[in-house]
Formats: sequence, C-alpha cells, structure tokens
Amino acid sequence: MRRNVAIIGCGQTKHTSKRRDVNIAEMVSEAVYNALEDAQVSLREVDAFVVGNMQGFGGIAQPEQWLGDSIGAPGKSVIRIATGGTTGGSVGQGAYYTVASGLHDVAVAVAWEKHSDSREAGATTGLLHVGLGNFFHAASYGLSLKNLVATSAVGAAAGVAVFQAVFYMHRSGCSIEHFDMVAAKARRNAAKNKYAHLQWPGCTPEDIARTEIIAYPFRYGHICPASDGASAIVVAEENLARKKARQPAWFKGLAAFSDEENSLQSENFGGVGVLDPSEQKGCWMSATKAYKMAGIKDPQKEIDVAEVYQPFPSQELIFAERLGLFDEGTAWMALEKGETDIDGRMPLDPSGGVNATNAIGSTALQRILECALQIMGKAEEHQVPRKVSNAVAHGWGGVTNYITVTVLGDSPGR
Amino acid sequence: MKSKSEIVEVQALPFAAGFNWSTGFQMQRFIEELANRKILGAKCPQCGYTYVPPRSRCGKCYAKIGEENLITLSGKGTLVGYTTAYVKLDGQGNFQDLEEPGIIGAIKLENADSTIFMPLEGIKPRDVTEGLKVEVQWREETKGELADIRCFKPA
Repeated sequence: MRRNVAIIGCGQTKHTSKRRDVNIAEMVSEAVYNALEDAQVSLREVDAFVVGNMQGFGGIAQPEQWLGDSIGAPGKSVIRIATGGTTGGSVGQGAYYTVASGLHDVAVAVAWEKHSDSREAGATTGLLHVGLGNFFHAASYGLSLKNLVATSAVGAAAGVAVFQAVFYMHRSGCSIEHFDMVAAKARRNAAKNKYAHLQWPGCTPEDIARTEIIAYPFRYGHICPASDGASAIVVAEENLARKKARQPAWFKGLAAFSDEENSLQSENFGGVGVLDPSEQKGCWMSATKAYKMAGIKDPQKEIDVAEVYQPFPSQELIFAERLGLFDEGTAWMALEKGETDIDGRMPLDPSGGVNATNAIGSTALQRILECALQIMGKAEEHQVPRKVSNAVAHGWGGVTNYITVTVLGDSPGR
Repeated sequence: MKSKSEIVEVQALPFAAGFNWSTGFQMQRFIEELANRKILGAKCPQCGYTYVPPRSRCGKCYAKIGEENLITLSGKGTLVGYTTAYVKLDGQGNFQDLEEPGIIGAIKLENADSTIFMPLEGIKPRDVTEGLKVEVQWREETKGELADIRCFKPA
C-alpha cells in the first residue's frame, strides 16, 4: 500500500550565467536550506536525500559525496539519480517513492547544474562527456565517429529539437512566428519569477523575430540559456504534511516512459523506431498513466496549469498536446488566442519554463516545484489568477527519449 | 595481438572540452592569502570546529560559516599520522624507485581541528613519530597557488 505524499516546501537559488562566488556544494546547499526554511522543517526531521544533476556535467563524477556534508546528509540515506535532461523529474519522483513506500517520512529532493564550471560556453563540456558514451555506442553499429559528429552530435539537443519542430510545423500547420510567440511569452513570464534567468519584461514576438536563424526553424532568441542554479523540494508523508503546510501540494499521479526515439536508432540512422520525431509517444504514455493514477478523466477540463519542458519553444506546443491539454495540432491556435498566458484558459509555463531558465539537471524538478508553488499559492507574481486544483509537470531528456510526468493536486485524491 | 575491431580511434571532435571550477569564496581567500605566506582556517561560529582549508558550511553542525569566521593560523602543527613512500609513478603507469624515501604526514595545525596531508622533509623515516612538532616551509616565491606550501619540516 502506498502512502499519500505531499510537497511541503520549495527552495531555489537565483539562476544566472555564472555563480563564481560559490562551488557546487555551496550552491546546492543554498537551495536545500531555502526549501527547509520554506517547509519549516529542521534537518533533524529529514530522513533521506535524493539528489542529481546531468551525468558528466560539471566534471564531478560523484558530486553527492562532495556535497553531503554541506546539505546535512551524513548519517542519512542519499541516492543520486541521473537520467539526462529528465534528471530533475526522476529526482522528484525518487523522493516520492522514498516516502510513499513507507521507508522514510521526510525526504529532500535537490537537483542542480553549474554550467559555468565548464571552460567552454554553454553546455559544450558537459555534452562531450555525455556524447562520448554515445559515440562508442554508435561505433558498435559500425558508424565512424566523424560521421556521427557531423550528423548527430552537433547541436546536441537543439539538433534533435529542430527535427521535432519541422515535423510538427508540417503536420499541424503552425509557423515560425508561433515559436517567436512562445519564446516572448517565456521571457515575459520569467520577468515575473524572481528566480528565473532570462527575464525580459514586455518582450514581444517581434523582438524575438529580429534575432538571427541559427538552425531552421530556430532563431537565436528561441534558445534557452545555460544557467547556474539549484532547486529543492521537501516531500513528506500525510500526517506531517497536514501539520506543516497550510496547503500541501499532493502527488496524485506520476509516470515515466522511455520511447523508441533514441537518437541513435531512429530518425538519424534509419532504425526501427520513430519516423516522426515530434510523435513523442513516451509523453503520451506517461501522461495517460499519470492521469489515470490521479483520477483525472479529462485533462483539458481538470488541469489548471502546466509546466511543460520546453528548452525550445516548439516543444511547449508539441508536449502540451501530448499531455492531453489540447487537441492534436491545435496548441498553436490556443497560443494565438492567449489561452496559454498566465491568465489564460490553460496557462503553460507561467514561470517562464526551461526556455528562460536552464540549469539542466534541475529543470525537470523545477517543473514539479513550480506546479507545487501554484497549488500552494506561493508563486507570487507569476501565480495564475484562479484556484489551482490540479497541475501537471513534465520532463524530457535522457538520450532525447525519456519522459517524466507528475500530476500534483490540492488534495491527495484518494 | 589486436584485431581491428578492438581499436576505436577518437579523432575529429569539433571541440575541446575543459573545466573551470569555482572554488567558492572561502577557498578563493585561502589560495590568495598563500601569496602572503598565511594559512587561513574557518572556525564554525556555532560549534567552534575549525577547518583547514576553510569552507562555508560546517560538516559537524551544518551552520553557515562566513568570511568573517576566517582565522589566520600560525603554520605550526603536530604530526598525527604518516606514511613513507619508496616508489613513485613514472608517468607511464610504471613504478620507479625513489632515491630517497618520501614521508607524507597528516598534520593538525595549531588551532585547527581538521588535518592536512603534506610532504614532510628534513627528517629520516626512522626518526618520525606521531606527535612530532612541525612547521610550514614556503617555496621561495609565493604566488597565491596551492603549490606555495612546499612541505613541512620538524620545528
């Protein structure tokens, strides 16, 4: 029998390009202590930690050993999870498992990335470390490294996302202007979120449209930043959650699926997998299962706000449809009507999302954290102006094939 | 004998990758002050435990340790444990005999609680004992690098 579990506190660092004043352990501890303070929970009450960042990023092989002392983990259970871009989603779900199982009463989930610890710009160094594993994987299919680099690795996640975007444009009828609109909305929303990175009050689609195309259909202004930052949530069993929090954010349903769109075996190399990279069946499967667990029958009516994983603006539209929030091929029409704005019918990424803040390992945990803030009524300036009963948080990553979906609500739902 | 399938050549990567870690503000000060021949420790304002090198969060009581909690240590200390090395690595994965055995000591500096590991010179291995009083030896020109601390010698 699984127990009811809720998020009772959230903590973040301010996200920025460079946090040179702190090392990784210090940066991560900031988020943890902020979350504990928000939850009014002392370290003595914490039983377990679930931690994670992108594997290979930051150049620290076992960061959980280094930062244990700094977050108060000695003598407690510590599990590190690394599932690529989805890491934060898996870390948040890992904290749920820890408490729902009955093994522990209070767990802290913390995830982070510190891009500025790479000597090269952005995520280059980290991607090399992740990429190397895939290079050798490819070698086992008889692909030379040179060809692989030329076709697959250049552009990394952007290289994958451009294909998702053009396939989606083709089948839905949306155009590059809609990506300008999503990116402008992300920067405007981020300006209302004090922890976000790329904040641009009043940003318009025309502002974005003035930036250069870097790989069709993406402009420079469409692309997420590389951020330094950490995020943490405090997760507790039902009795403590009710005692500590006025409005806990309950875990109602969750699921994770890997789909067949492995970057090495499908769209790039004629494998047996997915021919349309925007199909994203893993997201559809995860959402279907998570909604069932949460007792949600019609997500278009029952979900009040969504935090969609959108490092690239096309992904907000693609995944919002796969999460069942819009009919197939119609999310861009809802965007045009302002339905996805903070005060719209179906607000998408009121925090600004990954498109505005991208500390990779923590991005998918931030989606869960932001949904929790909306339910707890603590999202301050970017709080959606309505009662939030259900919110859905999404994560995308792995080797571009892994999806987490987490449904939070204002009651345990059972 | 190697068959061709065992050889995977790594070449033609479009970029080189390196790291550029932040040390954090406490460690930054520690390294900078080495240029002035000063060793800094961080004294926890809550439990008093003193760390060398300094850090910003106490591992004993988890209190925050700020820059104002940095203290200058004397550079004198006590040997609390040691080992003697007779070989070194030659850079190609092989051991090489050392002409003179090298001593590496765990040293507790005056007013500090944690220990640092440093080479110990100016004493024969057979004369070394736990409890030996030692002091820091700086290199000729100190530049604000970890290598400024050359070794320790008996006081």
